[in-house]
Amino acid sequence: MLRYAIKELVKRKKKYALNVLVISLVVILLITLTSLNIAYKNASKLPFESIHSSIIIQKNGNVAENTTGALVSCSLAPIKKDLINNIKSVDGVQEISYGLSLWVFDEDNFKRVLGVNWDDSLGRKIKSKIYVGSLPQSDEEIIAEKTFAQENNIILNQKIIISGETFIVAGFSETTGKDIVSSDVYANLKPVQDMAYNSKNLQDTETFGESDINIIFVDAKQTKVADVSKELDSLLNDPDSFTGNTPTGQKIGSYSIYTPESFENQINSIFNISDKIVLLLTIVILIGTALILFKSMAHAITERKKEFGIMKTVGFTNKDLKKQLTLEVLIQIMVSFLIGILVSIIVLFALSNLTVSVNIPWELNPYPHFLASDPSSVNTVQTYPLPIQFNPSYTILPMLSILIISFLTIHILLKKIGKLKPMEVLKYE
Amino acid sequence: MNKLITIKELSKTLGRVKAVNNISFSINNGELLAIQGHSGSGKSTLLSLLSGLENQDDGEIIFDNKKIGNMNEDDLALFRRKNVGIVFQSFNLIPTLNVIENIALPLFPTNVNKKEMLRRAQKSAEAVGLSNRLDHYPNELSGGEQQRVAIARALINNPKVLFADEPTGNLDSKTGKKILELLKSLNKEKGLTVVMVTHDDSIAKDCDRIIKLKDGRIQDE
Repeated sequence: MLRYAIKELVKRKKKYALNVLVISLVVILLITLTSLNIAYKNASKLPFESIHSSIIIQKNGNVAENTTGALVSCSLAPIKKDLINNIKSVDGVQEISYGLSLWVFDEDNFKRVLGVNWDDSLGRKIKSKIYVGSLPQSDEEIIAEKTFAQENNIILNQKIIISGETFIVAGFSETTGKDIVSSDVYANLKPVQDMAYNSKNLQDTETFGESDINIIFVDAKQTKVADVSKELDSLLNDPDSFTGNTPTGQKIGSYSIYTPESFENQINSIFNISDKIVLLLTIVILIGTALILFKSMAHAITERKKEFGIMKTVGFTNKDLKKQLTLEVLIQIMVSFLIGILVSIIVLFALSNLTVSVNIPWELNPYPHFLASDPSSVNTVQTYPLPIQFNPSYTILPMLSILIISFLTIHILLKKIGKLKPMEVLKYE
Repeated sequence: MNKLITIKELSKTLGRVKAVNNISFSINNGELLAIQGHSGSGKSTLLSLLSGLENQDDGEIIFDNKKIGNMNEDDLALFRRKNVGIVFQSFNLIPTLNVIENIALPLFPTNVNKKEMLRRAQKSAEAVGLSNRLDHYPNELSGGEQQRVAIARALINNPKVLFADEPTGNLDSKTGKKILELLKSLNKEKGLTVVMVTHDDSIAKDCDRIIKLKDGRIQDE
């Protein structure tokens, strides 16, 4: 029967080409749609991947009245270090790292300074970006970011003044500058905390304790990010304690909790299709496929009426006919899937050349508006290669759908064949 | 002679016409029987009832001591596969299969293995003198050769009876005669029961017995 099925398909390949074409197209469309949908979802996680964290916690605070010395942005108000213990107790939290990010307005230039612990995940991430020199061996040593160093002609081992304190450049790092928590200068946490604590301007704006920090990175279990984020929101935020709004519309005193989902709406692309549209398109494609396949198979069966009459005459039961038709359809599906999957891989490879731009909210990479040549450009846009790839599991939906459609079609059409009287189709041919 | 098929008060209505009307007769083992009649006399309908292609409305057909009238469609298909071979006027071969595959077609839905299938198909092809054209497709064969393929296909399951509905109707007289000779030799040499529907007197007269039908009834036997 297999031989008969193969010969039928090969000898009448033109008749079955439409089925193969339709099924292949469905496979290509569904795999591409699913891959794009998932790729854009994954793209929203990319800004977080660069810091190896899944949740960022910041506090919204006041705006300084003048720009002198060390300050904090209004999106990076001081956070008491004790809060770390509360966060650790939330179920799903795996690792926590933290830092202190300052704006430093010195006479010669403006610089962003980030104090870190080099042993936690944030410190390790920055450490991996050092391409010249070594890690700071003391509180007097710092790492300078490449672009900042080039713009200010800073060389290795050079002494530079930050907020009145002298530091030695122990190395250079290469970050994109648009990454979350990028900075011009990276230093040990302690000297940066001292810098903040001793800054009159900062203390006039916010109350800064000696061991305060202003940014926390939480690495949560992938499946629990949403739950952890919700839990942290209820743990940290007390709406009664909010006192007003920051210039960017955040409640002063509130904690902002950022997750990859925060970025899903920040991706601008015609290919970034929502789950609902993907579902709708999938349903439309499958209904269209069902209609085309039914019509095509019904036509093929009508044309082969005489053949089925012959088969019945020589002793094929309806079950045998069903087996024969099923074999023929299965071969068509297998060939179509092979073509569909191969073409999909090529299509996805072509789509992997696309880039995806993610708008990173100003709050996550704050830069003084008045220092930017174009104030609107302070909302940084980070561009990544689209993380699209072929995943064999994406073939399951089209495979199941096509199999169900095909077998339902065979089942319906077999009733027609079952009623066929061999004498009627054979006698008067 | 042993009775192979006994037909009792058999009737079949097609639309408003009683195509077979209360017919009774029997067919003996090894007999070469002609069923003759004009167009519309009911001879093809009778053949389709006897070969298990259709169910009768009334009466009964006892085939080798088994009633076939009450069988459902799938049981009738199995009955045909095991007991009868059927040859039509218009050959009815599958165009996408070659000669040997067409001959082996009745074995496709069975458990017979490929080797045995080929052996039996070759044996059937030899019986009808077609051993040299096994790889050819129906459209590469003459009418006479196509009818031989149809006969070989009908023989592959070693049927108890071969039903032939106007087997020479689509052939020229010379080729038709050869096909007729083949059917007669199968009957005489192999003892195969052959029931042939024909309207041609010259064919009918060579048979052991003739049943003449008119308006669905036996006119002469």
